[in-house]
Formats: sequence, C-alpha cells, structure tokens
Amino acid sequence: VLSFRAVESQSEAQCAPVDSLWRRYSEFELLRNYLSVTYPHIVVPPLPEKRADFVWHKLSADNMDPDFVERRRIGLENFLLRVASHPVLCQDKIFYSFLTQEGGWKEMVNETGFQLKADSRLKALNATFRVKNPDKRFTELKHYSDELQSVISHLLRVRARVADRLYGVYKVHGNYGRVFSEWSAIEKEMGDGLQSAGHHMDVYAASIDDILEEEEHYADQLKEYLFYAEALRAVCRKHELMQYDLEMAAQDLTSKKQQCEELATGTVRTFSLKGMTSKLFGQETPEQREAKIKVLEEQIQEGEEQLKSKNLEGRDFVKSAWADIERFKEQKNHDLKEALISYAVMQISMCKKGIQVWTNAKECFSKM
Amino acid sequence: AAGAPKPLPSSGPKSLREMPHPLATSSSEEMGPALTPSPDLLLPRSIADKDLTLPNGTPVDTSSPASSSSLLNRLQLDDDLDGETRDLFVTVDDPKKHVCTMETYITYRVTTKTTRAEFDLPEYSVRRRYQDFDWLRNKLEESQPTHLIPPLPEKFVVKGVVDRFSEEFVETRRKALDKFLKRITDHPVLSFNEHFNVFLTAKDLNAYKKQGMALLSKMGESVKYVTGGYKLRSRPLEFAAIGEYLDTFSLKLGTIDRIAQRIIKEQLEYLVELREYGPVYSTWGGLEVELSEPLEGVSACVGNCCTALEELSEDMTEDFLPVLREYILYSESMKNVLKKRDQVQAEYEAKLESVALKKEDRPKVPTDVEKCQDRVECFNADLKADMERWQNNKRQDFRQLLMGMADKNIQYYEKCLTAWESIIPLLQDKPETK
Repeated sequence: VLSFRAVESQSEAQCAPVDSLWRRYSEFELLRNYLSVTYPHIVVPPLPEKRADFVWHKLSADNMDPDFVERRRIGLENFLLRVASHPVLCQDKIFYSFLTQEGGWKEMVNETGFQLKADSRLKALNATFRVKNPDKRFTELKHYSDELQSVISHLLRVRARVADRLYGVYKVHGNYGRVFSEWSAIEKEMGDGLQSAGHHMDVYAASIDDILEEEEHYADQLKEYLFYAEALRAVCRKHELMQYDLEMAAQDLTSKKQQCEELATGTVRTFSLKGMTSKLFGQETPEQREAKIKVLEEQIQEGEEQLKSKNLEGRDFVKSAWADIERFKEQKNHDLKEALISYAVMQISMCKKGIQVWTNAKECFSKM
Repeated sequence: AAGAPKPLPSSGPKSLREMPHPLATSSSEEMGPALTPSPDLLLPRSIADKDLTLPNGTPVDTSSPASSSSLLNRLQLDDDLDGETRDLFVTVDDPKKHVCTMETYITYRVTTKTTRAEFDLPEYSVRRRYQDFDWLRNKLEESQPTHLIPPLPEKFVVKGVVDRFSEEFVETRRKALDKFLKRITDHPVLSFNEHFNVFLTAKDLNAYKKQGMALLSKMGESVKYVTGGYKLRSRPLEFAAIGEYLDTFSLKLGTIDRIAQRIIKEQLEYLVELREYGPVYSTWGGLEVELSEPLEGVSACVGNCCTALEELSEDMTEDFLPVLREYILYSESMKNVLKKRDQVQAEYEAKLESVALKKEDRPKVPTDVEKCQDRVECFNADLKADMERWQNNKRQDFRQLLMGMADKNIQYYEKCLTAWESIIPLLQDKPETK
C-alpha cells in the first residue's frame, strides 16, 4: 500500500522548471522500460503521450502549452496510480524507490542490468517470426490489440474534427449578440427584447470552451487505452518470440541429436556439407569422431536442459500472462464503461445548457 | 374595370385643406358618423367635388370607402382582429405541377371566404401561378402608389442550383405567397382594391389582364407613377427618419441573413463529421464482447443527434431565411415609395414657387397647385399610416420568427437530450443483471 504523500511529492516535483520536467518524463520512461523488461508477462500501464496528438485547432500542439503540460502531468500521476494498484507491479523495489528516492535512482535502475534482458527484436514491431505452433489465444489477442489501436485512433481523429466543427457552430452565434445590439438601437418596442436576447447568444457562444475542455478528459481516457492496446500487443509479441526461441532451440536440439546419431552410426541420413567434405576429403579418424560425438553429447545435454527450462518458462509465462490479461480485460471493460457514461453525462449537460440558453433567448424575444 | 372614382366620406363640403390633418386629433366628432370601428358600415359617401388624381392623370383607385383616409387605418390598427371584425379570409395552398408542351409550372389554390358586399359570392376558389401574383403586385403598385405593397418571394431562381419543383422550394414559396395575400387582406385600403378582387375571384384571370392592358394603353403609355424630374430640397424630418431607419434596418437584416447562413454551413460541416463519428463506435462494438452493447448504444445515440441536427438546419433554411429576405425586399420597395413621395412633394413645391414668382394679384391659389398640395398631404397621410401599421406587423413578425428560431433550437437539444438520457441505463447495465 502506497502513501499518497509520496505520489503528491512526485507531482509537486513536476511543477518544477521545464527542464526538470523533461528529465522527469525521461525517468518515467526509464521506469516503464524497466518494468516492461522485468515483467514481460504483465500488461504494463502506458505513459501519456509525449507529444500532443489528435489536436483540434483550438488546442495547442505545442508541447510547452500549459494546458497540455497539465494534462500530461495528470496522465503521469495516473500512470503511477495504475502501477501502484497492480497486484504484482506495486511490490517492485525500483518502483518504490522511484516514489521515495530522489537522488541516484537512475543509477540504481541501470545497476539492475535490465537493459541486457531487453530483447531488441521487440523493437521491430512488424517483423514476422514464423512460429510453427502458435498459441491461438495469443494470436487472437494480438489481432484484437491491433484492431483496438486502429479503431481508437480513428475515433480520436474524428472526435477532434467533431470538436473543431462544434466550436465553429457555437462561436458564430456570438455574432448575433453584436448585430442584435446594433439593431436594438434603432427600435423602440423591440429594442429591449433584442438586446437581452443578444446577451444570451454571447453566453451560448462562450459556453463551448468549457464544454470542450471537459471533453478532453474523455479523449485522454480513450488515449490511455489506445496506448494500453500497445502494451497488450507487446505481451503477445513477447510470447511469440518466446515460442519462436523455444521452437528454434527444439529444432537445434533435434538437428544436433541427428548429427550425433549420424556420426555414431556412420550413416548420413541428411545432406550436410560436412558429410560431403568428409566424402570428398576422406573420413575422419575415429579419434576425431569420438571427440565430435562427445562435444555434441555435451551440447545435447545442455540443450535438453535449456529446452526443459524454456518450456517451463513458457508455461509459466502463459499462465501468469493470461491471469494478467484477464485482470486487464476486466479493468478495461470497467474503465471504458465509466468513460462512456461520463461522456454521455457530458453530452446531457451540454444539451441542458443549450435548452436553458435558448429558453432564455425565447423569453426575451417574446417580450419584443 | 376602373370606373369613376368614388368620393371620400366627409362630414361636410369642406375643402381638404380646411380639414384638420387626419392624424392631428383623435376626436371623432369631426369625422362624422360614417367613421365607426365597424367596417360593415363603411360605405362610400358622396362628397363635393373632391376627386383625387395622380399627376399623370390616372385616377386614384378609391373604390374603398376611405381610400386615403388614415383615420380608418388608425381605427383598424388594432392587430388583434378577432373573428367578428374580420370579413375577409384568404388562403394559399395545394400546389400542383402542370406539365404543358411549352412549359412546366406550379399553380396554387387561392381560397377566399368573405361577407363583404364587394364580392358577389361568399366563397371562391381559384388557381393562380406565380406570374399572376406578380401581375397583382404590379397592379397594386400602379394603382396604390401611396401605399406600401407587401413583397413577393423572389421571382428568379438560378436553375441548376435550386430545384424549382422540389417540395421544399414549393412549400417555401407557398408560405410566402400566402403571407403576401394575407398582408393585403389585412390592409384597410389595399384589400378593397379591385384588381385584388378580380385576382381572388376571376375564373379567367388572363382575359382580365388583357382587358386591363388595353385600357391602360388608352390612358397613356406610362403606367408607372413617374413624374418629371423635380428635385426635392429636403425630405421632411419624419420621412428622413423613416428612410434612415429602413437603411439601417435592411443592413442589419442582411447581416443576420449572413450569420444565419454561416451557422447553417457550420452545422452541416459538423453533421458530416458526426456521420463518420457514430459508426466508429459501432465498429468498435464489433470487436468487443461486454462493451458491445454500450458502444452500439452510443453509436445509435450519435445517429439520433445527426437526424435532429439535420431537421434543425432544414427548418432554418426553409422557415427562417426566407422571411428575412422578404423583409429586405420589403424595405427596398418601401424606400422606393419614399422616393415617389419626395417626387410628389417636389412637384408641388416647384409649382408653388412658380406661382409665387408670377407675382399676380390673385388671392386664391390656382387649382392645379391646390391639387398638388392635396396629393402631398394624401401621400404623407397614407404613408405615415402604413408605416405605423408596418412597424407593428414587423414587430409581430419578428417576434414570431425569432421565437420560432429559439424554439427549433430548443427542440433540437431536447431530442439530443432524450437520446443521451435513454442510453445511460444501457451503459450502466451490469452483465449479472441481464
């Protein structure tokens, strides 16, 4: 259980000058990389976007924009809360030090040597590794994560355009305020009604700013799951690579066993360059053969042990990964439902405001 | 047909000049028993040799009991005419398309119900096309130049841009034509105009039109109320004020028209995005299991909002913009009437001046100058009365128009509100409770 004071002090540190914020963001990145490598079977919570994306025209794409910085700060806080509430990750010592230790944390992380464990192949996102016996569940999940990323990206893009257009509709109404005012100046009986209605048009035009600011929170919630989808994909990928390595190791073991057998029995079952050269240049001496066989037998033994542990590793991975995936699914369903509800509530509030303003305007018109 | 001008009612053989200015007093004693609020009793009375003619010799159509009497206008300024005081009802409806070899056009049914003596029957139903309305308006302008004639919807439509036969266009036009006739019906002078009568009653309007053309050619080629180029020194203050008002008024309406158009444009662009937005939720729903229903719900909700927005934009285009444009046209024609008034006054002043210059020993002012003065005073009285009436009607029309605009927006938001409120329970639904 983490104390909130620790989290708060972290956020306070983020209000420090800009360059220290950037350092902080990179430290968050370091933390996350560490967690991803150390717990490959966990769907690690994502960081908020580094750069402003999916912006509509009024929102600044400037990374220094105070609104963006603030929203990112909230996102970083959220990331920490996610990690803190994860049954496995919250127990990690490096995470704990991240929250409590200001100085020397970076060195501490690097000392764990986690970078060595990092699989560079993971960076090649779309490179295919032909797995002979893919786990269907993981294949489906990977496919799902791809689709999820695609659909949420699309949704965020269109939502930004929708926000842009809605902004335009509201703001143009502000022009009514001015022209009604000018018109009321030449009217006698109609003047007051027009003037006061114009005021309501101004209120209407101004109301969109708050409405759209609130909607950004919804967009942020969607973005979190856009990035979560990537984390989910990463787990599938790690499994895929694991499976590939396993199959490669098994294949290697099989071929070594075969070689051994061939050497022992003197039969060449499969074509090999060695076989050809030995045919061309003469057979090896029995001593040479014995030496080779011995080497191979050692390798085979090693290989069998490795395969065994890889298999175990694989089974463990699948078991714990699947447990975390189930946990993630439930969390996702819950969170997104909440997000949709809050979005609907926002829309309802916007409609009610609209009804209020136009009802007020109607009353002013009725007094004309 | 244009018969002998019927005389004005009067309390006695006074000269118009000696009569108090029609708007000067509100006392009815001087008006005489003829002028009571009830229109049924307003029958033409004979009066001495006061006839009114226009400078070009065309007799002023005085078939109404009080053609240029603003007294009557004042008494009937009460807009809340209940059924008892109304004796003429006109409606335009039932548009029908006619396809002929030469052309295709629309006719509208014009229904009249009346108890007025000027009509032979209590009810009429005729079919008229836009041309006929246009003809009527021209005739009214010619025969009642001192009055404000209501506008018609625009004659020409750019082919290819607007479909002249689309339901929306025809309906918009029908409403405008209906409004046009109703405004004439409500006018105490114009409603008694004989061309109006024929328009409402004649089976064969074209025959009457041809007859009318022939008569006019006898009277002279110029049917337009154009006087020689007299220059007015200065417009009297009150008419200058009206002119300025109309200038600013039509300017502001133009601005509102542009704003409204811009809003509609922005709304349609918003609609385009919304139409892409909704379905994405549906696509997402297809990927999910537990979230499938909520996401579909949101998609449907956005769809409902799209429909509501479409209806709002349509309403604004069909009901709001045309009325604005009508009033802009109205202002333009009113400014022209003001100019005509200036012409009449200018002529009078010019003639008066030339008489004064002659320095003759006549104590009495020559009759033609007197006639000019009568025309000026008549025109001024008619115009002022019509302006007051116009201002009142305008206020009511805009009150209704703007309240309607507010209403449509309220309805739009209410539809959206209903849609979003209805999916809250769907979103909150827990799988166990299903």
